[in-house]
Amino acid sequence: MIEVTIQLLSFFAAAALVIIGITGMLFLDNLIKKIIAFILLSDGVNLMLVAVGYVEGGIVSILLPGMSPSEFASKAILVFPVGIVLTNIVISVSTTAVLVALVIMLYRRYGTLKSSKVLKEERR
Amino acid sequence: MIESISNLWSIPLLVMIPIFATIIVNLLFNRNKAIKYISLISALSLVVITLLSPYGFQWFTGQPALNPNTLTFTFDASIPAWRMALEFYFGPLQQALIFVMALILVLVIGIATNGLTKNQGPYIGMIFLLFASAAIIVMVNDLYHLWIGVEIGSLVVAGVVAASGEGISQKAALKYTFFSALSGAGLAIALALILGLTGYSNISDAIRYIQTTNLNGMSSILYVAFGFFTLSWIYAGGLVPIHPLKSEVYGAAFPHGTAMLQTQSKLMLVAIGLVMLRLFGSLPFAREVMLSISVLTMMLGVVMALLQTDLRWILAYLIVSHSGLVTVGISLGTYDALVGGLFQAVNDVLYMSVLLLGCEAVYYLGNGTSTKTAAGIAKKAPWLALAVVLGTFAASGIPPFNGFQSEIILIQSALKVGLPEVAVVILILSVTTFIALFRAIYSIFLRPADTTHLVVSGLIPSEAQEVGKETPIPRGLYLSLAILVVITLILGVYPDLVIRFLTPVAQAVSIPWYP
Amino acid sequence: MVSVDSLYDKIKRWTVEFVGGRGYSNQMTGYMTGELQTAVFTLILASLFRIFSIPLAIVLLIAVVAAILYFAPMIVHIERESSNDLNRVLFWVVIYFAIIIAVTLWGR
Repeated sequence: MIEVTIQLLSFFAAAALVIIGITGMLFLDNLIKKIIAFILLSDGVNLMLVAVGYVEGGIVSILLPGMSPSEFASKAILVFPVGIVLTNIVISVSTTAVLVALVIMLYRRYGTLKSSKVLKEERR
Repeated sequence: MIESISNLWSIPLLVMIPIFATIIVNLLFNRNKAIKYISLISALSLVVITLLSPYGFQWFTGQPALNPNTLTFTFDASIPAWRMALEFYFGPLQQALIFVMALILVLVIGIATNGLTKNQGPYIGMIFLLFASAAIIVMVNDLYHLWIGVEIGSLVVAGVVAASGEGISQKAALKYTFFSALSGAGLAIALALILGLTGYSNISDAIRYIQTTNLNGMSSILYVAFGFFTLSWIYAGGLVPIHPLKSEVYGAAFPHGTAMLQTQSKLMLVAIGLVMLRLFGSLPFAREVMLSISVLTMMLGVVMALLQTDLRWILAYLIVSHSGLVTVGISLGTYDALVGGLFQAVNDVLYMSVLLLGCEAVYYLGNGTSTKTAAGIAKKAPWLALAVVLGTFAASGIPPFNGFQSEIILIQSALKVGLPEVAVVILILSVTTFIALFRAIYSIFLRPADTTHLVVSGLIPSEAQEVGKETPIPRGLYLSLAILVVITLILGVYPDLVIRFLTPVAQAVSIPWYP
Repeated sequence: MVSVDSLYDKIKRWTVEFVGGRGYSNQMTGYMTGELQTAVFTLILASLFRIFSIPLAIVLLIAVVAAILYFAPMIVHIERESSNDLNRVLFWVVIYFAIIIAVTLWGR
């Protein structure tokens, strides 16, 4: 019998976000909606990373005065995934900025946000 | 335990110099002469640093080692009791790859600063960031920095492609960035899975954990991580099924930009491929999956190249196809195959740069690069025609050029593991590359020029954007072509000049092929 | 004397109908070469199955030859499937990913 913990529920939520994001990027026609779907995908990845570092009843990984190292090691949440999440936030902001800039350029050129019109196949 | 840890001085410089150069040339917006000198000096300094640097590590953060005085797997160096998690390594392979990339960087910057008249600062800055991202990925030994390098590289590719200003370039950049968003998320998931499974982000530590610990049914996680890594590998190299997007990226950028893009791409392909081989090489069917992707890429790329009628697009598909050739060596994973694959990556970068710079030169003659409109160029620029023909010979694996040496090693390694079909596919690729290129060379260079109205593509240089207006090909471009052709010839006659840098990694990473 | 088409004439006429235009245009040679390459490559892929079982490889080879003759010209399908439309590429990526995960999980 699988124990339902917060960590397990977080993994499911992250998976749902990732699936919604990928589906949105595949099937939505509007370019801005595709970008929003990418943001959802990125948030799902962040949630998954945070859930990897989760410890039941854990404390923030700061070694306070009076705390023994063994108590700290057993209770503190994993800090490296949190660092990865911070980096991922920066990366997804940059990627979103680049995507939006490109969409603006293409909107000025083609006058529409429909990917079926803007990104249609180039036949040479 | 008190340990002294010495970090190598050159590793941070190889990453920081391009980043500082990017900042400075951006601040010097439109001061073209200053941008030219600063960027050339920075690029030359990277060449010098790569040549002069000794081998060593650069470490960040730490954790207790699994065993004190253990050896790492890949690089045969002893590590201290405190095992550093985030790690860069500069060794013989890194020296060879980064030197080739730095050389291409110098040539590309010389050409870009000559040709572009506006927005030089941001464009040159992005070229430097391409170098920085590839250098990070080649030197890294931890998954965190690998992921960061891939993400930086993907954003900068979009910028370099969109810089040519055409609608097709912006569309190509947008499509590619959408896919890079997916693959970056996939790589982050793979990082999370391996971190969760092993507790390590350092690749050597993770490998040691996987090999020495009973995973107790958790091995499915490893296979899912392999799947996400493959997605990222496919994205990095433009392998099947991303080949239409990647070749569109190559075709839509300025040809000199494409030279730098394909260099970054090959290096990423090699680096991620080696990481996959080390982490997942012992999984059942992992190398077979990598090999099948490589073989499909080779053939689909070259078949699509045959159907094109523009030299840029022929080269774009051939770059993708030859990426498959590089990955065949890495996928087979034996010593010979790895040497062949890594050597092929170096050679591929060089001869494709010859062809791309030749394509750039054709633009200066005002006729575009379509086989339907450009003609008779051999009469106007015979040395250009000679350089492009020699580049074609190198790309087709004809001796005494460098392409022959790496392809013969790959063919022999495929025969040694008992896969003559793969050897046949490599031979077909070789011959078809020659056919695809020579069709274009005949049409563009050797066919007599006619007097029909010419269609100009509207790319750089701005002086040549009027219909039929010819500008003289810069001497810098001829010099770049000459340097690269001479190098392809030297490596064809003396392949050991590069191979001796590749053998240590091939020895450390190779896995026997079990049928 | 009545003019009789050779096999070469028939295949040439059949292929020219798809691409259109003059028989010996620049593009035409590319398509014909690509068709030949695709056919040879598919045969090589089929013969790779000899690793699993030789009778299987022989059966596959015969099936592939029949498929090549039935579906020819394949080059048109290859060109269509190599479309640079984002949705089509992402579709193939999802298919590839599913195959990779299935093969590696099945293989363990």
